[in-house]
Amino acid sequence: MSILLNNRTRLMIQGLGNEGQNQIRRSLDYGTRVVAGVHPGFRGGDTFTHDDHSFPVYPTVAEAVEQTQANCSIIYVPAPGAADAILENIAADVPLIVCITEGVPVHDMIRVRSAIANSESKLIGPNCPGIIQPASKCRVGIHPPDVFMPGNVGVVSRSGTLVYEAVDQLSRAGIGQSTCVGVGGDPIIGEQQQAILRRFQNDPDTDAVVLIGEIGGLAEQAAAAYIKRSMTKPVVAFIAGATAPPGRRMGHAGAIIEGEAGTAEAKLAALEDAGAVISRSPAEIGSTMRRVLEEAGKYQPPGAAENE
Amino acid sequence: MNIHEYQAKEIFRRHNVPVPGGGAAATEAEARALIKEHGPDVVIKAQVHAGGRGKGRVVKRDRASRTYNDLTREPGRHEGQISGRRRGGVRLASGVEDGLKEFRPLLDKDNRLVSIQTGPEGAPISAALIEQQTSIAHEYYFSIQVDGASGQPLIIASAEGGQSIEEVNRTNPRAVLRIPVDPVEGFPAFRGRTLASQLGLPSSAIRQAGEMFANLYNVFTEMDASLVEVNPFVLTGEGTVLAIDGKVGLDDNASFRHDGYEAWRDRSQENPTEIEAEEANIGSYIKLDGNIGCVVNGAGLAMATMDTLMLHGGEPANFLDIGTVNRKDRVVEALRIIVNDSDVKAIFINIFGGLARVDIVAEGVVDAVNELKIRQPLVVRLNGSNVEEGRRVLHDSGIDVQTADELGDAAELAVQAAATAARRRSRN
Repeated sequence: MSILLNNRTRLMIQGLGNEGQNQIRRSLDYGTRVVAGVHPGFRGGDTFTHDDHSFPVYPTVAEAVEQTQANCSIIYVPAPGAADAILENIAADVPLIVCITEGVPVHDMIRVRSAIANSESKLIGPNCPGIIQPASKCRVGIHPPDVFMPGNVGVVSRSGTLVYEAVDQLSRAGIGQSTCVGVGGDPIIGEQQQAILRRFQNDPDTDAVVLIGEIGGLAEQAAAAYIKRSMTKPVVAFIAGATAPPGRRMGHAGAIIEGEAGTAEAKLAALEDAGAVISRSPAEIGSTMRRVLEEAGKYQPPGAAENE
Repeated sequence: MNIHEYQAKEIFRRHNVPVPGGGAAATEAEARALIKEHGPDVVIKAQVHAGGRGKGRVVKRDRASRTYNDLTREPGRHEGQISGRRRGGVRLASGVEDGLKEFRPLLDKDNRLVSIQTGPEGAPISAALIEQQTSIAHEYYFSIQVDGASGQPLIIASAEGGQSIEEVNRTNPRAVLRIPVDPVEGFPAFRGRTLASQLGLPSSAIRQAGEMFANLYNVFTEMDASLVEVNPFVLTGEGTVLAIDGKVGLDDNASFRHDGYEAWRDRSQENPTEIEAEEANIGSYIKLDGNIGCVVNGAGLAMATMDTLMLHGGEPANFLDIGTVNRKDRVVEALRIIVNDSDVKAIFINIFGGLARVDIVAEGVVDAVNELKIRQPLVVRLNGSNVEEGRRVLHDSGIDVQTADELGDAAELAVQAAATAARRRSRN
């Protein structure tokens, strides 16, 4: 069932502070199977309870995995401890790690990326809204659940709030989502856009993809290269920041890596050349996708599945 | 966070990276003492958080904008890194009297250093770095930064230093070496010696250069730097290597484990409104040229909101990512900054709640309208977490506000409101 998550996802939450507790309640309400919490010295004792739901809380990831067979971790741990929390999951061979935390030091992420490369674990984030998969009721993140609905379009974005914006438009246009992934806005993240595109390309439950990028970096060019080389499913792309004035240049050497490639124009040109359909306006992502699906004969109006 | 060259060099010195003898002066007495100690032949360098100092100009504040236009119109016309005509931000002098003559205009509070990187306001000069002059046989470039794609540190080096590395990369890309660093191995001295050899340094300087590169890598990791750049480091006439420039960018996210960061911060180099926004803890704010004040959550949505306004013929007055709002007083503080901007003719609030709860945002908007006596027309678009309560709060408050559910419709309303307000203003 679509990518990264499925009906067998057994979620564990790391970091049961106020925000972690609020968010995991909303995931429980959404129907997500949460099997464990990890929070050394958790004030609530060894169990977390919300309405009819409850799950055990352990001091370490290793114990949580051993006792509950958790296979996915969501991290709400504050920035100073976030990299440590990710490393703890890698050490425990947790297959999928999603880190929401904003403000993780970049040198911590250098260590994390190096550890990930030598492991079987996959990382989404940090500084991201997480992953949501409406059909399996898996909400591994901070999404407002009401705007999402099951369907055949995948969404991948660097920005969190733009996932919600794009999905709101899709849902209003009668287009449901297979899986929505916010890869995160930091310089160093786990899986990047092209890796998620590859997952969608290989996913029988996804017929088309919305790709939302931003100015800066080279990730969209890598995504464009993948689309051109391997992608047969339609991609609708939007790049935020086309009208942002170039910031005061501090003359740092970053420009030598990306040069002009960091601009929205360069990214849009690469994506257009790769065959992506460009939505110039962020307000037209939904209508553009509807047109693309209709042309491909893949538009499934809500309720159509039941009528067939 | 950027720091000054003299601060970067203090860090270099502590990590055994060779730098010229010298120090920072903020007063004439300090300058005099430094020239006596390190002179008679000295170089005096204005300390600002911007590059292009040597080709820049030190001018009275009220001439800054005109000078900036001159510089950006014909960037090639202006003299080189170290100006013989003594009007830039990097000056040579000989002896105490000559040195003080060059030092005084730099520290004049009415003066600004204008370079192609400072913007039209120019930069106030916080101090001057006074160093002994160096005999230069050859100039090289060296930097370390984070490469997001590989997730590894990346060293960039070139035997064509002392000029813009972007320019070298454009005209002679083969002269630019790129060396990805395995973070587990780090950058031990033997890697440094290999690089020194690739750069064509003479055999006698290779051991010292290798150690300098390894030590600069230690600066990068131990200081949690996002950038360490030395342009140029030089081979001296005596055959040794020396970092005669130094730039260090620090990762603000790591400030919790570095007591030193706060002391190195120089607020005089930052935009006052942006500092005000930071102190009010309302996320990230950048002033722009238009007339529609924006309050948005999330950097991506904030940029997309600006894009939408411009596609509808409007112009944003600012970029403001309010971040995750779970306290209504932050909304009030954000709107206070927007309302106090005299360019703002209409206000557009666009919040899509995820972590943020839009009912709290709505309460903040109501408080702000009552507290700040907002006169500009207000367009509010709420969506996401707790949206029904948010919309009810707005509706029940009775405040004068236009609302729309969809981004495009809301942007259209904001553009019309700004246009109407601007027309009304111009009629009066």
